[in-house]
Amino acid sequence: MKIVFLFFIVGFVINVNAQTGKIPEGFRSIFNGKNLKGWHISRSTHQGTTPDFHVEDGVIVAKERPYGQGGLLMTDRHYKDFELYIEVKIDSFANGGIFLRSNEGGAAYQVELVLPGATGDLIGERIPLSKTAKAKDREKVWKAHDWNSFRIRMVADTPHVTLWINDVQMWDITEPKNDMIADAAEGMIALQCHWTALYSPAAGNGMPLLMWHPGAAHRYRNIAIKELK
Amino acid sequence: MTLRPYKILLLCLLPASILYSQNTTFTNNIGMKFVLVRPGSMIVGRFQPTVFKTSQSSDSIYKLALEMAKRDASPGFKVNIAYPFYMSQFEVTQEQWEKVMGANPSYFKGDKVKDDASQHPVENVAWNDAQKFIKKLNELEKGKAVYRLPTEFEWEYAARAGAEDDISWSEIFKSAVIATTTTNMVGKKKPNAWGLYDMLGNVWEWVQDPYNEKIFADPVPLKKGKEHVLKGASFYGDVKNATYMTHAAGPASKYDVGFRIVMEVK
Repeated sequence: MKIVFLFFIVGFVINVNAQTGKIPEGFRSIFNGKNLKGWHISRSTHQGTTPDFHVEDGVIVAKERPYGQGGLLMTDRHYKDFELYIEVKIDSFANGGIFLRSNEGGAAYQVELVLPGATGDLIGERIPLSKTAKAKDREKVWKAHDWNSFRIRMVADTPHVTLWINDVQMWDITEPKNDMIADAAEGMIALQCHWTALYSPAAGNGMPLLMWHPGAAHRYRNIAIKELK
Repeated sequence: MTLRPYKILLLCLLPASILYSQNTTFTNNIGMKFVLVRPGSMIVGRFQPTVFKTSQSSDSIYKLALEMAKRDASPGFKVNIAYPFYMSQFEVTQEQWEKVMGANPSYFKGDKVKDDASQHPVENVAWNDAQKFIKKLNELEKGKAVYRLPTEFEWEYAARAGAEDDISWSEIFKSAVIATTTTNMVGKKKPNAWGLYDMLGNVWEWVQDPYNEKIFADPVPLKKGKEHVLKGASFYGDVKNATYMTHAAGPASKYDVGFRIVMEVK
């Protein structure tokens, strides 16, 4: 009986862990786990143009560089209709996001990544988004201080977007119109490290420290895509 | 020949008198307006990162942020602009581009905007396209003037218009077309102290210099690079980067990139 119970426990743990750590079938990896081939840094985003995105033990690590300057790591390729699979592990007090159909300057649909805060919400980045979405049930499935999987489906010129976190659907939304600049219905996938500091106090205060605590990091792995026709 | 003191004084004053005898504005044959930019100096790349503490972050985090900000701060370097030049008062418009090149590559043309698209900046022009425009403009002027892209330092010097430190957010909002979804007609926001419009916002502007992949320019610009420097931010930019300090680079998003030109003082 004890052995059966042990098998049950082990099986349960394996099942829970199966939610992350592996790219689902039918998806094509877009991060090789070794370097940032196929990706580039935006040189025209206001987030910053010199962020520290690097690969460490098969994981993309994102940090500000120099102090207070964030940035965007973007796919070289543009995607229109797709499902994106990505696993993320985020420090608290570090505001980033997964950008969808982004232009080179970082105007995009964004799935927010911030704790405490609105992780999983759909917002507009440099675009006035007609309809936002809230991941109200995110905390029910969230694994604190651990890897969490995001699956995002985005299709159609007038975007229809669906988000699953750890395989549980958070929202499914159809925008009333395409809000992207120049009516673009395709763009890059990008990972955001938010800025905090201005170049000089003469410009203003900048962002509060909690936007990206000094030394904080976001981590990403198992990034894969399924293009949809 | 013996130089008497008054002759020495006259000789000293001559370059200045030549300079100040230049017209302060100039309009060329296709209606491009230029403003005379006089010599001077500025500090480029001074980095004094802000640290904004609120009650939600602890004292230890604040201390660490201050240490990191101090570690990464940089005094910048002095740049002398030793000669006068004319800077175009506005970004090159779609109308001006068409007059010289015969076709309009812009995305935000015709009914893509609600007002007079011909007075919007030309965009969707690569750095090489800007060079082709300048070459053709020089040919049209038949040697009467020499046009070229500004260097990054010329651009920043003209954009600062005497400002030593960074520009405040309230001033950016008054002078820059940012946080919107299309380009705007040129010259509709507040000009800078030297009468130049849209140095910040509307479209990114190409300059001559290759990009060094650093946060700011080097004292000696590169001669070669994969991309060229962009200055000034675009219509969907943020106050964060719509400052003359921003040192960005192509390709950007094409519909957000235009340019302005320099006319050399003879």
